Amino acid sequence: MDVFLQQVFNGIMLGSTYAVVAAGLTLVFGILHVPNFAHGHFYMIGAYVTFFLVTSWKLGFWPAVLLSCLVLALLGVVVERLAFRPMRGQPQVNAFISAIGVLMFLEALVTLVWGPEGHRIPNPYPATVNLWGLVTTQQRLLVIVTAALLIFLLNLFIKKTLLGATIEAVAQNREGAMLVGINVDRVSSITFALSAATAAIAASVVAPIFIITPTMGALVGMKAFIIVILGGLGNIPGAIWGGYILGLVEALGGGYISADYKDVFAFGLLILVLALRPAGLFGKESS
Amino acid sequence: MLLRLRGVHVSIGEITIIHDVSLEVRKGEVVALLGSNGAGKTTLFKAIAGVIKPSRGAIEFEGEEIQHLPADKVVQRGLVLCPEGRQLFPQLSVYKNLLLGAYVRRKEKKKVEQTLEWVYALFPILRERREQPAGTLSGGEQQMLAIGRALMSGPKVLLLDEPTMGLAPLVVARIAEVIKEISKAGTTVFLSEQNAHMALKITERGYVLENGRVVLEGPSARLIEDPVVKRAYLGV
Repeated sequence: MDVFLQQVFNGIMLGSTYAVVAAGLTLVFGILHVPNFAHGHFYMIGAYVTFFLVTSWKLGFWPAVLLSCLVLALLGVVVERLAFRPMRGQPQVNAFISAIGVLMFLEALVTLVWGPEGHRIPNPYPATVNLWGLVTTQQRLLVIVTAALLIFLLNLFIKKTLLGATIEAVAQNREGAMLVGINVDRVSSITFALSAATAAIAASVVAPIFIITPTMGALVGMKAFIIVILGGLGNIPGAIWGGYILGLVEALGGGYISADYKDVFAFGLLILVLALRPAGLFGKESS
Repeated sequence: MLLRLRGVHVSIGEITIIHDVSLEVRKGEVVALLGSNGAGKTTLFKAIAGVIKPSRGAIEFEGEEIQHLPADKVVQRGLVLCPEGRQLFPQLSVYKNLLLGAYVRRKEKKKVEQTLEWVYALFPILRERREQPAGTLSGGEQQMLAIGRALMSGPKVLLLDEPTMGLAPLVVARIAEVIKEISKAGTTVFLSEQNAHMALKITERGYVLENGRVVLEGPSARLIEDPVVKRAYLGV
């Protein structure tokens, strides 16, 4: 039972990161109508910027996270402007290729600056806590709480503010949005900023637990992609639930069977869901 | 002159849809644009609204050329298109659709509130359904919402593109009533219709579009008697 609870906890922690990253990916999908394959690399850069600010600029952990979040928001805007906006109105494959170009560029850039080897962000909260027999670190709790807070705020922004409503409006009917006077370009920029910034926060809080490497973005991006498909493309609550489900599947599969196979469980789940429910777990069956 | 088109050509891809169209809409008028399916009414309206750019010619609104402006800037100036096919936000509530309609004057909370009340008064069903996703409404209700959403920005000119297409006669009658009320409230209306009977009854002047060209224009009372219009659009 203890092992089970421990793995559930680990699953929720993993899932927290996945949920935030996938929510950002699905948000951008709604606007672009193609997945941004470079999203995982925003996540990776977010971790590196925080690493740089903490180790070289000697900033405190939270100021570093905040600044990293702003840097990534800006990077998101720049990438949308340079790599995606020119592809609008062209065949979707062009945007795909553009995204892959961005991904390769970002990974090469980080490798050039910080080298291919792993780095570690000093853990700001290493103390262990005992939660009703469950032993964990403060940092791990922090990952869960931060993700929950981010998801809550993101939801609040989209559902309760007019600016948030414009993102949904553009996703649901681009021409309709233009006709009510929404500047679609501006909404695209904001969506990219939001998506990259949330990925940066998710990466920064989880990074002290793991090692950061230039290739970490590829796997996270791939998993976010799985989750977004699991949850139904463009479906934000679907992406969040999908994130937690994937985290739990990986942790339980890894804990009970073998940790070496945890990615096999993730991709196995994708194949299973696509075979049984092609529109995703939370997607509407389209005729 | 509120709206004036001078020698407007519109092409989509290689094909020219609109050829050398010139027309005028004066302040306070209700003007009809008649034409059968494929005559180019929707393309012309989209060009006026800034959704597509004319390849030649000028579109003037309140004396200024607007053909180079993007759609959102055109809306800001007070020229709003209620599009064919409605183009609603299907998963958002009726209320949110209306609120987004007022996006360009989001800072004028009081006016938005007043217009919302007016729209609810025009279409009481929208108040009843305000929490419902727009996609779950019936065709007639969706058309009412599309008109309501367009009115929320407080337009000087409302372009209505085939508002009665595919609707039951009772709903068509209601929409005709509403168009008269919108006009009475001070909004200039440019109405595109295949339903010439209805359109000519509620408008003062009209243009007839055929194969992307204006082939006939004049007072509605005269158009309704015109043999060409009678044969082509009134089924007499």
